[in-house]
Amino acid sequence: MMIWAQSFAVTTPDDTSIVVRRDFGAVPTKVWRALTEPEHLRRWLGDPSFPLTTCEMDVRVGGRYRWVFTPPDGPGAMGVSGTYDEVARPRRLVTTEQFDDYPGPSVNTLVLDERADGRTAMTLTVRYVDREMRDGWVASGMAEGLGRGYERLDDALEAMEG
Amino acid sequence: MTTLDVVPARDPLSLVFAALADPTRRAMLTRLRRGPATVGQLGEPFAMTGPAVSKHLRVLERAGLITRGRVAQARPATLAAEPMKQVAEWAEQFREFWDLRYDRLEDYLTTMADEPEDDR
Repeated sequence: MMIWAQSFAVTTPDDTSIVVRRDFGAVPTKVWRALTEPEHLRRWLGDPSFPLTTCEMDVRVGGRYRWVFTPPDGPGAMGVSGTYDEVARPRRLVTTEQFDDYPGPSVNTLVLDERADGRTAMTLTVRYVDREMRDGWVASGMAEGLGRGYERLDDALEAMEG
Repeated sequence: MTTLDVVPARDPLSLVFAALADPTRRAMLTRLRRGPATVGQLGEPFAMTGPAVSKHLRVLERAGLITRGRVAQARPATLAAEPMKQVAEWAEQFREFWDLRYDRLEDYLTTMADEPEDDR
């Protein structure tokens, strides 16, 4: 099944995972730097309305990271932290991820494949602890259907039962 | 393979997610879209006993997804919109967040200087 298909495609290939795919117009080494170096990350991962106010990253096996986004005018900070478990520049990065206020944790496997045209195909596999947690995240698509007058609920349910 | 420490999540969203994770409970919620229903009515499509239905309803009720009324002996269940709205808002924020971030990354990559290792 596929959900949330807008600028990126999300699929659920097995019981506990969500897979996000997106292409970028640069070679993997460059995408890798943008994803793993704080001075780059601060500039695209944060934005003026939701800046990345804490960006600590120790990108080596066993190292930890901590990101906090803080809105400049008011509450609603979002924190996420985890560890680096595999670091194979520029192809593969395995991390754990736990949001402060959302269900988790997950193991995230980021794979960057170089395409013939010099672009990079990114595949991010987010694996949750169990099916229940994964389905909960997927079911948020169903909740969205309910919240928006049910129009997407039947499709979402059909996809989930299949 | 990396192993995960299972830390039981206690936030309200987790309760809703756990409640939504079960196909029987999702079917019950779908039935409740048509209006309130009793334990008997909800169990009928699944040939399920009253206690089994009640167990599912308790999970839904604890997550705030339904409310239970009191009509004589029956306690008809009614769909509650608010938690669904909260999860929907979260899902929308999550999608918007990553849509925006990936678009920003795409733009940012065009401004990054090449390094010798970027051999194209």
